[in-house]
Amino acid sequence: MQTISTDVLVIGGGATGSGALRDLAMRGIRAILVEKGDLTHGTTGRYHGLLHSGGRYVTKDPQSANECARENAILRRIMPHCIEDTSGFFVITPWDDPEYGDLFMANCRKTGVPVSELPLAEMRRREPALNPQIARAFEVADAAADSFLAAHTNVLAAREYGAQVLTYHTLIALLREGDQIVGAIVEDLRSGERKKIACAYVLNATGAWAGKVAALAGVKVTVLPGKGTLVAMNHRMVNTVINRCKLPSDGDIIVPVHSVAVIGTTDTFVPDPDFYGIEAEEVQFMLDEGEKLVPGFKQYRALRAWAGVRPLYKDQDVTNDRDLSRTYKLLDHAQRDGVEGMISLVGGKWTTYRLMAEDAVNVIAQRLGNTKPCRTAEETMPTPPFERRSVTIATEDGPTLHWLGKPLAAVEQTQAYNDLICECELVTRSRLQEAMASGASNIDDLRRMVRVGMGPCQGGWCVYRSSALLYEERSAKADPHTPFHIEYANAALLHFLQERWRGLIPVLWGDQLRQARLDELIFAGLLGIHRLRDHARQGGGLVTPE
Amino acid sequence: MGHLEDSLDQCIKCNVCMTACPVAAVSPHFPGPKVVGPQAQRFRHADQPVPDASVDYCSGCRVCNEVCPAGVRIAELNARARAQLVAAQGQSLRNRIIARAGLVGRLSSGPHAPLLNMGLGLRPLRWVMEQVIQIHRDAPLPPASRHTFGHWFRQRGQRRGLRQVVYYHGCSTQYYEPWVGQAAVAVLEHNGFEVIVPDQDCCGLPLLSNGDFRSAERQHRYNVAQLIPYVRQGIPVVGTSTSCILTLKEEAPELLDLTSQEVADVAAHTYDIFEFLRTLAERNELKTDFRAISRTLPYHPPCQLRAHRIGLPALDVLSLIPGLRLVESQAACCGIAGTYGLKREKYALAMAVGAPLFQFVRESGSDLALCDSETCRWQISHATGVTTKHPIEILAAAYGL
Amino acid sequence: MQYDSIVIGAGISGMLAAIGRAEAGEQVLVLAKGHAATHWATGCIDLLDVGDGDPLAGVAALIAAQADHPYAIAGYAAIEPSLNRLREICDQGGYPLVGSPQRNLLLPTAAGALRPTCLVPVTMVAGDARQLPRTGSGEAPLLVVGFRELRDFFPPMIAANLQIQGFNAEGIYLTLPPLEGAADFTSTGFARLFEQPAFRAEVGTHLRRLVRDGGHQRIAMPAILGIQHAAQVVAELQAIAGAQIFEIPTPPPSVAGMRIYHILEQRLRTAGGRIQLGAYVQRGEAHGTRLEAVYSEAAAREQRHRANRFVLATGGIGGGGMRAIDANHLIETALRLPLRAPASRADWFFPDFLAQPGHPIFRSGVAVDTQLRPLDAKNQVVYTNVAVVGAAIAGCDHIREGAYEGVAVATGWVAGAR
Repeated sequence: MQTISTDVLVIGGGATGSGALRDLAMRGIRAILVEKGDLTHGTTGRYHGLLHSGGRYVTKDPQSANECARENAILRRIMPHCIEDTSGFFVITPWDDPEYGDLFMANCRKTGVPVSELPLAEMRRREPALNPQIARAFEVADAAADSFLAAHTNVLAAREYGAQVLTYHTLIALLREGDQIVGAIVEDLRSGERKKIACAYVLNATGAWAGKVAALAGVKVTVLPGKGTLVAMNHRMVNTVINRCKLPSDGDIIVPVHSVAVIGTTDTFVPDPDFYGIEAEEVQFMLDEGEKLVPGFKQYRALRAWAGVRPLYKDQDVTNDRDLSRTYKLLDHAQRDGVEGMISLVGGKWTTYRLMAEDAVNVIAQRLGNTKPCRTAEETMPTPPFERRSVTIATEDGPTLHWLGKPLAAVEQTQAYNDLICECELVTRSRLQEAMASGASNIDDLRRMVRVGMGPCQGGWCVYRSSALLYEERSAKADPHTPFHIEYANAALLHFLQERWRGLIPVLWGDQLRQARLDELIFAGLLGIHRLRDHARQGGGLVTPE
Repeated sequence: MGHLEDSLDQCIKCNVCMTACPVAAVSPHFPGPKVVGPQAQRFRHADQPVPDASVDYCSGCRVCNEVCPAGVRIAELNARARAQLVAAQGQSLRNRIIARAGLVGRLSSGPHAPLLNMGLGLRPLRWVMEQVIQIHRDAPLPPASRHTFGHWFRQRGQRRGLRQVVYYHGCSTQYYEPWVGQAAVAVLEHNGFEVIVPDQDCCGLPLLSNGDFRSAERQHRYNVAQLIPYVRQGIPVVGTSTSCILTLKEEAPELLDLTSQEVADVAAHTYDIFEFLRTLAERNELKTDFRAISRTLPYHPPCQLRAHRIGLPALDVLSLIPGLRLVESQAACCGIAGTYGLKREKYALAMAVGAPLFQFVRESGSDLALCDSETCRWQISHATGVTTKHPIEILAAAYGL
Repeated sequence: MQYDSIVIGAGISGMLAAIGRAEAGEQVLVLAKGHAATHWATGCIDLLDVGDGDPLAGVAALIAAQADHPYAIAGYAAIEPSLNRLREICDQGGYPLVGSPQRNLLLPTAAGALRPTCLVPVTMVAGDARQLPRTGSGEAPLLVVGFRELRDFFPPMIAANLQIQGFNAEGIYLTLPPLEGAADFTSTGFARLFEQPAFRAEVGTHLRRLVRDGGHQRIAMPAILGIQHAAQVVAELQAIAGAQIFEIPTPPPSVAGMRIYHILEQRLRTAGGRIQLGAYVQRGEAHGTRLEAVYSEAAAREQRHRANRFVLATGGIGGGGMRAIDANHLIETALRLPLRAPASRADWFFPDFLAQPGHPIFRSGVAVDTQLRPLDAKNQVVYTNVAVVGAAIAGCDHIREGAYEGVAVATGWVAGAR
């Protein structure tokens, strides 16, 4: 078995893990990150993409609010390309307690969350779709964040400082000698090869999976996976993040992301972060709530629902999940459990990932005798090459938004209309091929990288095209010893269709149900994909981790 | 919700529109209705520049709407996007001229018309026009009339009848083909109607299809103000220019987001003339004292008529004339689409779009073809040399008027 | 205008019903919101998925097992005559359908799977799996030929999937002959190119070289080989190439399906019938159990259409004849007829996308009596002068049963004959 030596093994390729990897590398500590899927495969890739102003937490979780406010300013500085400065409103609808407005303002001030009350006329001018019965509106520094790009940005920065990343590597075992963690065994899901990683420290940054990882070290960590369901609507009906001005609850926030708007979220305890469903009722409830913010909301076409599992740490008896602290906990297993060489990071949220990483790396650095200070808040990060730089356009006395039409302008400029593989999201063949060349391991990776299959038809045409192109790209490169079999492409196709179906079931009515039937005509009727089920298997670098 | 743009939600990407678009079939510059319509619309933002100038190649024929199984307002999405382009980039001199059908008509018609028409027949002058204002040298420009329809009607005077009807003549009848209006008046009066011709402006369609929404709105508001007093008395408005009537009924209110009761009332009481006559026929109120016309004629229901979604009322009514047989063209579009085919860069395209129709007309062997839309008639005659008439002229003839 | 019959929907079932009525001398109007299933599906006539077995026997068994299946309502006796009727129409349209209701063909799909179907256009029949070269048979491989510019046909994938199913196949892309300005590389755009003799001659020459070098007996191509003259185009290409050529249907829009639509349209027009597209029927007007008129959406106001008899051929959820107006309610869109649908949303779907026998919601539809008349929840006839045909009838998942066209043909023919 191949053995790799490093100082720190970071487990988990989400926001926290990739942020910690960068921090470690910047301090000159050798580090390797392992992730069982693609970067952001877990919760980081399944949230609404919100850079919190802190406004949501000012009353119930003031510490979180303050952390968010500070990190918000830092992230805008160090990774501007990952953030669309949409701004955010907190609005009091007829269903909300009008008294909360003043308390909200006061608590924002107390917690250091910048806020200003917005004249209603101004609110309507900027967001004409909002409910005209809204009584008050407050503006905060919410923004839309691209968490996938952000993780890649952190990893790119970390690599420049010498860190290594192993995606599609799953953790098999943590190696423990007495009370000391000394390394791990990981398996490359693509080749089946196992590797030993010898290290001085393990950082468990696996969020909702932290309990499962800790158990491998014989340590008990109780993380309550809190499922948050989100729904993408086919219109960007607002350009600002819209929050209900009340204590956080289900379906109270709409975030504009690219050409869609995402409404979220719910908060339901699930026993296992790997197995959960999305109920039609949750989705209905959120759409009803959306209707209160944007009249007509329910009439828009819902594209897809998905859920992420929040890593809520339970260190005492708390009855209501939402009352669990949104701030994070750093569990030093040496102090807590007498197990040296490992710490777990649990709780927290995307906006505070850098701060969490800094705290964790401070502890690790100290143990390793490294005295270099954290500089992650100072240095601006590089932009990954796959990112086509967004163009921003200032609006009249409004926020500076990304140019929504940028992808279309690129297609228009090159007259690449005949070359579109995913027509909904304007993904050209060459863009897809670039993504394949940069290591996409399945169609879901392509979706994250270039948004293939994310539009209204949910892959009706592009999934077949993408799997065929995957086969063409990979089989051309295959050497005689590791031939790329068509079965792998079939598996990628079938798997993506099934994953997509999971997200579709809760939103299937109206046009999306009609679309699903047309897609079924294509896949089950015309292409007969189900007839290839016996000719599908994983391999050849195409893997879909559970 | 309820905005035009929201209709993109209904698109299931099925590509049926892509198979039917007559422009995409002949032009490398137009990526097709789904592509520039519901697909591109997701990337357009009301406050940001329109990213795709390709949408300007949409001729607005609405064949896409006609075949769409999902009810997406594709052509209207395109018209809106073009207006956004024009608002951002400004309008060319050429488009500003051709979009003002009323003004051009007013300046062209009159005692000097014969001279002007002769000028338009001169190759060198057309060459200069092509160079200076980008109107294709071969594009069909109709000869202006010496006397306007309005002049004729005033001279003759309004004649009393049992019931009243307002006639909306539009620019083509007013300045180029007054005989179409005269036939309409004769048919309506023959059926006992008192025909009223109020003052009226261009319907605004050329402005709408060239993306100048602001000017179009002025014209529409003017027309609504002129027509609403009659509409309030329950007097219907009828017109022979099917595209003008469609504009009054639907296109102007919809594209311009005009939601007032007046606009809606005028729309609800405005009829294509054969739509109106067909309703009379269904109620047995249409006179049927026709003389036989033993002819077989090619008939092209123009895309602008089909966009009313009322079937083929001219065919229904003319089928009552003994001996007359109309053969319906199955062509999508003649290509001209109002002012589209006049443009230097689009003329050849428009002729290619119309090719199947021209072939149909030529192969009919007839020296006369019928069509409800004036610009289509001019295009058909230009391409085939066959004389064209509005169906109302045949109806008037059948009545012996 | 008062028609004898108004047919709502311009798919295969509606068009066959309309042709039947018009050729019986009736004044017929077809009202349709737009094109639909003909432009999406394979252009083959699927009767029943019984693998490569006897679909007619399968239909008989199905009728015995499920009395309210659309095939049972149309009646076993209707199956063969209805298929023959369609064959006769397509024959006269210069686009013969071949095959037998007693034995399904297995044709390769654009993914390289083998799909059972009953009748296929003459341009596809050479793709029957029984005739394809098997691995190790010594025969030259089937050559799957496509164009890179066409985004809905991938020869390497098709060939590779055929190979793992035991066939000898090879996939390649052809370089397009130089084109003048053409940039429409949709399947329809390609089909228009193949209508040009010069273009197909160039492609044919290219194929001949490949055949000469590789000894291929058979060539598979995407179903884009012409729209109006496909049979002739394929025959010509075969003659030049010196090998059998067959088409494989591509994802929507389906050129092969459009060919059948055009033939049906011409047939109806010749019989004096009329078609009004863009006519979205949204309600009816009844007197007791007699439907007097239907109303279609139009500019400024709806249009009223009167007829003595009506045929509802608006399709299922895919075609737009039914629509879930929210998460719990399915309606019939044209006449608001009562529907048979799963009682609760919990029963609409299976968690597995490709689960057999298909998601229950897609078996929803209008219940009909033996004369295809719509029934309410108490099995009372809703309208005595309405026949429901095709995918609008309850009790069948047309896609997953492999009966997509068969049910349309049988019920449409019955409605046209009665």
